[in-house]
Amino acid sequence: MSIVMAAVEQGLIYGLMALGVYISFRILSFPDLSVDGTFPLGAAVGATLIVAGWNPYAALGVAFAAGAVGGAFTGVLATKFRIQGLLAGVLTMIMLYSLNLRIMGRPNLPLLGRPSVFRLAAQWGGIPMAWANFAVAASLALGAILLLHLLFRTEIGLALRATGDNPGMVRAYGTSPEGMVILGLALANGLVALSGALAAQHGGFADVGLGVGTIVAGLASVIVGEILLRPRSILWALGAVLAGSCLYRGAILVALRYGSAVGFTASDLRLLTALVVLGALVAPAWRLRQEGAG
Amino acid sequence: MILKLAGVRKSYSVGAQLVSALAGVDFALAQGEFVTVIGSNGAGKTTLLNVIAGDTRPDRGKVYLLGRDVTGCPTHRRACWIGRVFQDPRQGAAPHLTVAENLALASRKGRRGLGFPLTRRRRAALREALAGLGMGLEERLSEQVACLSGGERQALAVLMATLARPRLLLLDEHTAALDPANAERVLAITEDLVRAGGLATLMVTHRMDQALVLGDRLVMLHQGRILLDLPSAEKRALAVEDLVRLFRQEGCAEDELLLSSADNAPPRAPLTPGAAAVPRSPKGP
Ligand SMILES: Nc1ncnc2c1ncn2[C@@H]1O[C@H](COP(=O)(O)OP(=O)(O)OP(=O)(O)O)[C@@H](O)[C@H]1O
Ligand SMILES: [Mg+2]
Repeated sequence: MSIVMAAVEQGLIYGLMALGVYISFRILSFPDLSVDGTFPLGAAVGATLIVAGWNPYAALGVAFAAGAVGGAFTGVLATKFRIQGLLAGVLTMIMLYSLNLRIMGRPNLPLLGRPSVFRLAAQWGGIPMAWANFAVAASLALGAILLLHLLFRTEIGLALRATGDNPGMVRAYGTSPEGMVILGLALANGLVALSGALAAQHGGFADVGLGVGTIVAGLASVIVGEILLRPRSILWALGAVLAGSCLYRGAILVALRYGSAVGFTASDLRLLTALVVLGALVAPAWRLRQEGAG
Repeated sequence: MILKLAGVRKSYSVGAQLVSALAGVDFALAQGEFVTVIGSNGAGKTTLLNVIAGDTRPDRGKVYLLGRDVTGCPTHRRACWIGRVFQDPRQGAAPHLTVAENLALASRKGRRGLGFPLTRRRRAALREALAGLGMGLEERLSEQVACLSGGERQALAVLMATLARPRLLLLDEHTAALDPANAERVLAITEDLVRAGGLATLMVTHRMDQALVLGDRLVMLHQGRILLDLPSAEKRALAVEDLVRLFRQEGCAEDELLLSSADNAPPRAPLTPGAAAVPRSPKGP
């Protein structure tokens, strides 16, 4: 399979997670670290249900719901108990690590030979697995941005967007910004868990360690998309997140395949990702300082 | 009665000291009354509005809106009765939402549903409302609010605050951050919208001349207390110098802000741009 195809496929699957990160970081301006816990939560819940004989689509649905509960929990910690956003997310993440082990009963749950949404699609359409993988990932990711695009134009959606922008104004116009933060984090982490469940079905296993660095990968996708496409509308911004995710996955695949020539190994991946995010975060401030000095 | 405050007190502990921001305020506002509120820096004007809106909970005393005790009711639950415009133009709207989206949020308060608020018919209505401001904003419905100037934002904020037909309008020096011409325009817009809606209004201002020309009742706050509460007839008979003299009698003559207004403002100055501008002393931290 070509590296481009693989990048797009993974980019779309992990793109659902990046969309969740976009919602918490960009729409709500909430630095939500619980995604490192809700991504493997989705994988754990989805995989456990499939092993128990559930339909893979239903397993995805339950995984979304589980992630939403996790996100709402972070939201409640941050708003009702006034715990700092970062800390609230870390607490949820740590709790989920233990919880995920409980759910799976062991650190790693293989799904080889089990039904998955990809296999169902291949059987149903009578198409090869490679096509089915792509078709399922694309329809879920595009469906998600279409639904989000519609959501962000509804009254609730406008209130969600305004919450990250000006919570005082949201409050003055009769909506509790705290409620909006909880709702937004539920939605964001639902997407992240959905992505985790999908990644487990795609990769053929669920693992408690799956979530480490999710937040940085998500941020990298969001930032890469923003820098390259400079989106002006919400729909474009959502599309840019998916594009950024595909590029990010592509970069990883390239680094893994050809990086060994320069001594690069898989274990360096997180360092590299974090450096990319760091660079993207620092560059605007640095440029500003240059302009200010000049 | 639209609004009633009974024995409202609020103190803040600043370091080891207890600062009394409101020291027992009793106040009532009738349907359609337009009250201007003046007072020196730190008199408690903003705290008063915060208590009414729900952002600040009083230590003691009660707040009634439309006869209901709302003392413990959070801001967003009483927002359906209240419209509010702040001093800082950035506070009134969400900058990354478009003008139309901000207006859509403002035009229906409370529970938010999954309906699409910006139908074509709704946009046409909003366009018409914006045209009423006379600032050309009706052509900029799809622009982000971040692109608007301070004056345009404040005009938009006044429209937003009155759009959902609140019963009470709270204005906290909402023209103070604008240049004289824009301040004048936003003030005229405010008066129009208040008159059109018959809104009970509480307007905090630092400008004596504004306080005298606008509204039909004048309240002076000092050190957390209402020092003066002049009904319409007495207010009309007053000139800026009289107001300053009253201030002196009450022992707050040291307020350089008020003294300077006596030198600058001609008595009974009409509200023309710049004519009666009172220099504002820099605010404390
Ligand atoms: N959050 C707070 N914490 C501590 N002290 C406060 C707080 N808010 C207000 N105060 C104090 O309460 C007093 C009244 O403040 P307030 O903001 O109501 O004055 P104001 O009349 O609006 O003044 P200005 O004309 O400067 O806006 C001041 O002494 C102020 O320092
Ligand atoms: Mg004030």
